Amino acid sequence: MVLEANPDHWNKERGPRLEKVVFRNDVGPAEALGLVCDAEGEVDIVTEVSPADAGRVRDSDHANLVTIDAMRVVSGLINRNSAPLDDVRVRKALNLAVDRDRLVREVFFGYAHPVAAMAPPYSWESPDDLEPYPHDPEEGKRLLAEAGWPPDRALRLATTGDVEAVARYLAESFGESLGIGVDLVTIPDENLVAAQRALVEKKLPVPFDVLVHAWFDLAAGYPPAVIHREYFHSGGAFRAGPVLPEFEDLMGRSVVETDPEKLGDLGKELDRLVYDEALNVFLCCPQALVAVNKHVDFTGHAATLELAETEVDEGHWSRRGGG
Amino acid sequence: MTGQATRQPAAEGGVRAPVGTVHVVDPHPLNWLFITWNTMEEPVRTDERGNIVGACMEDSGWEGSTLIVKVREGVRFQDGEPLTSHSIKRSFDEVQKWKAPHPPGTYLNFHPDTRVECPDDHTARFVFPEPDGLALAKFRGFHIASTRFWEEEGFGYRKYGTGEGHW
Repeated sequence: MVLEANPDHWNKERGPRLEKVVFRNDVGPAEALGLVCDAEGEVDIVTEVSPADAGRVRDSDHANLVTIDAMRVVSGLINRNSAPLDDVRVRKALNLAVDRDRLVREVFFGYAHPVAAMAPPYSWESPDDLEPYPHDPEEGKRLLAEAGWPPDRALRLATTGDVEAVARYLAESFGESLGIGVDLVTIPDENLVAAQRALVEKKLPVPFDVLVHAWFDLAAGYPPAVIHREYFHSGGAFRAGPVLPEFEDLMGRSVVETDPEKLGDLGKELDRLVYDEALNVFLCCPQALVAVNKHVDFTGHAATLELAETEVDEGHWSRRGGG
Repeated sequence: MTGQATRQPAAEGGVRAPVGTVHVVDPHPLNWLFITWNTMEEPVRTDERGNIVGACMEDSGWEGSTLIVKVREGVRFQDGEPLTSHSIKRSFDEVQKWKAPHPPGTYLNFHPDTRVECPDDHTARFVFPEPDGLALAKFRGFHIASTRFWEEEGFGYRKYGTGEGHW
């Protein structure tokens, strides 16, 4: 896929600044990472670098690591359809079992931000007064006992392959902090579409208590419209539990609110509500990591990959006669 | 980030000409959408932090449940056709006939009873049956295309005969 610059574009201040952008679909992510780190002229920009590979990019002679506070959130989707997960005390206990700072440090190598609820901490709708649930195993155990968690009941934890490391960390946290058994199941890639369909259609009982799940927003304007809605609204694709009238009311008011300030306040109310009800196991917002050739001045975007402002210096291979 | 890159000055107005080529590997599942955003016009775009800012829409304001969109003057599609309020109405009408035209989800849909009026070449009136607080966010997924695009491609409508989420 080759994009050629449109020099007549109206926004000349922004760009385009490159003559040509070539999206290489013939190179896999692992090979691409090697080509951007160890060579020049083959690959200039590789997106979706894993935190585990960030060090390789940082140490590279040819590439820099660009980090972006992206509109992304990873959480544990709680199946609230039946006991004992229909009890807010149990859901709070799961949240109290997680050391988010350690999760960010050990699983994301520091390339993530702990999050109190579902709105990224750098978005307008993130309430200033909301702190992530503390890591408090004793209070978590107390709440589980109060709610009557059956002693031989193992938690069914499911995950997709892309967030399996997070799920393993959660399984360890739930076991150690709450003293409960955890059955961890990774959904094979070949079964992913069927699993997604079952979750969205809601015709069959979903076979998990908690599903580790990554999601994103396409803008920072109003995260509840995309993130909160998909997880908790009556029309939400990922909702796994009964509809909350208070949530429906807040969403109903926000969709007809045209005053940006009032809309922001409604967004904060929605984030507080999902926090108070512990509707998910709130975890973190991963940064987007991009490996970029050292002769490329890349402008990262929180909600997209756009290259209008990206440019290359005179030392770039394409300006030395190679392009 | 790298050191300051340079661009060659253009002949007019101090604007610099595009220079150089980059090769990109983007395994993100929304790569198709990112390419769309790199190549098509929308009323709004997002800045580096994800905030919605005007693109081919210069300004907007509400009059009751009607959103008045001021269309930026001097915008042209790649094929040279001027982008006007009529381009916005055509793009709206083309997509509005489908129930689920947006793969990311129907949350990007406008109310089915919405209509667009063009009192002049640079004003589009979105007449909603009730105020739509998320209209500007939905504009992010509202791709504006030239007449030629709709006649020859139309997000695959010409080939597949439907716009229901297949693209």
